[in-house]
Amino acid sequence: MANSSWRIGRPRGGAQLPLALLAALAIALILIGKAQSNLFDRARANLTDWAAPALEVVRAPLAGINRFLGSIGDIFHVYEENLKLKEENARLRQWHNQAVVLDDRVKRYQLLLHAVPDPALTTVMAQVKPGQAVIDARGMIGRIFLAGDHTSWVILLTDLNSRVPVTVVPGNVQAIMAGDNSGAPTLDLLSQNVTLKPGMQVVTSGDGGLLPPGLAVGIVVANPGGGFRVALLADPASSETVNVVDFKNKTELPPAVSPKDLPAAAAGLPPAAPPVETPPAGTAPAGTPPAAVTTTPKPAKPSTTPPAQDGSDPGDE
Amino acid sequence: MERATNLVSLRILANIVPVALGILGVLVANFPVSFLGGHVAPPLLGFMPLYFWGMVRPDLMSPFWAFVLGFLEDVLSGGPPGVWAASYLAAYYMIDSQRDMLASLSGVGALTGFAVAALIACFSAYVIVCLLSATVLPLAPMLGELAITVIVYVFAVFVFGAIHRRLVGPLRSDF
Repeated sequence: MANSSWRIGRPRGGAQLPLALLAALAIALILIGKAQSNLFDRARANLTDWAAPALEVVRAPLAGINRFLGSIGDIFHVYEENLKLKEENARLRQWHNQAVVLDDRVKRYQLLLHAVPDPALTTVMAQVKPGQAVIDARGMIGRIFLAGDHTSWVILLTDLNSRVPVTVVPGNVQAIMAGDNSGAPTLDLLSQNVTLKPGMQVVTSGDGGLLPPGLAVGIVVANPGGGFRVALLADPASSETVNVVDFKNKTELPPAVSPKDLPAAAAGLPPAAPPVETPPAGTAPAGTPPAAVTTTPKPAKPSTTPPAQDGSDPGDE
Repeated sequence: MERATNLVSLRILANIVPVALGILGVLVANFPVSFLGGHVAPPLLGFMPLYFWGMVRPDLMSPFWAFVLGFLEDVLSGGPPGVWAASYLAAYYMIDSQRDMLASLSGVGALTGFAVAALIACFSAYVIVCLLSATVLPLAPMLGELAITVIVYVFAVFVFGAIHRRLVGPLRSDF
């Protein structure tokens, strides 16, 4: 580690001018990157696409070594791990039974209310697009912010630029989960008059129409500095396989109104006769029917809410 | 004649080695596989050759290469462009202005010199990102990255020293 034997190959201070020029260039890059991030994002996507075959070749043995190193510590805890998993399995079976009962109840309620069920989530097999959610078996990891031909970049939930609308349950508390480069994102509540407790569940709210509602995200934990953070369920570092969720927010149409749904019909009364109006003389010929009242419901307009959670295109991040 | 050709080849190799190690370091550090379970930020492997040869052979590790390594770090880490380029240049300015003192350090002192240079790089990046995002970010991730970088440098400096003595350094006297 001794440096005393090194001879310096250039007089001190000889790099001042190039340093100043390059520093100016770096600052210009920062400003350009802030204004036109798409340029650099496209370059990144092209670079990773170009390097994808090499990355794939190198990744396989490295991932094997990583798994081996990670499993060394587990060998010494196999017995305890087994007991813990058995206990967890028994608990999960109880939850499973409860979920089946509740699912059946929800279906009956939906039938009674003519509710439109949530759109089914499909996993993308062909085309990955910016904004799509990335999940593993435990929960949400992040979302696609840059999609190339063969590779994609994922903005993690912990990233500084990540903003995701979430719901804290129970209580249906709306909040924005914001990453700050730490392991647990912060929770910015949209309402001041709510109280959170550690241990509450955090799921995506689906606001904005880009992410599906109800994706598991994490658990509320108290922040030592005040406020609350989210302990994420998913661990991007240990996830080798992820799913990209293709979510299309379908327009929710109210059920068509039939005559029996009218209050009078529902009460068992005969339908009221249509009002007969006498048209003013000279405005319509004899025998012209009265103006019809349109009762057909208009389809709801598609949501015009901006797609990104933070109001910006994900690709701009 | 043949000796002259060999010397030219060796000279080209010696010129390439420091920068090639820097590029390799950036690639490895940003490779999408974590050996530490993602709990610790990857070390600034590209910064280590920059510091080492920026100190002992600045003709081989010029400010231009500091800029290139920083920009490559920006591109591969997914962060805003220019952040690491500017940070590496800030650290290079310290190395360039304090070269005599840094080169005379040994043992823990040499490690401290590297730690100060890495601190300048990390803190510069932290400040720039804070300014860009208009918020005060937690310091812990930056300090974790700094700590793991210094720890890894303890081992890396022996490798760099060996490469320098056997490949890069001895060639200098021939020219």
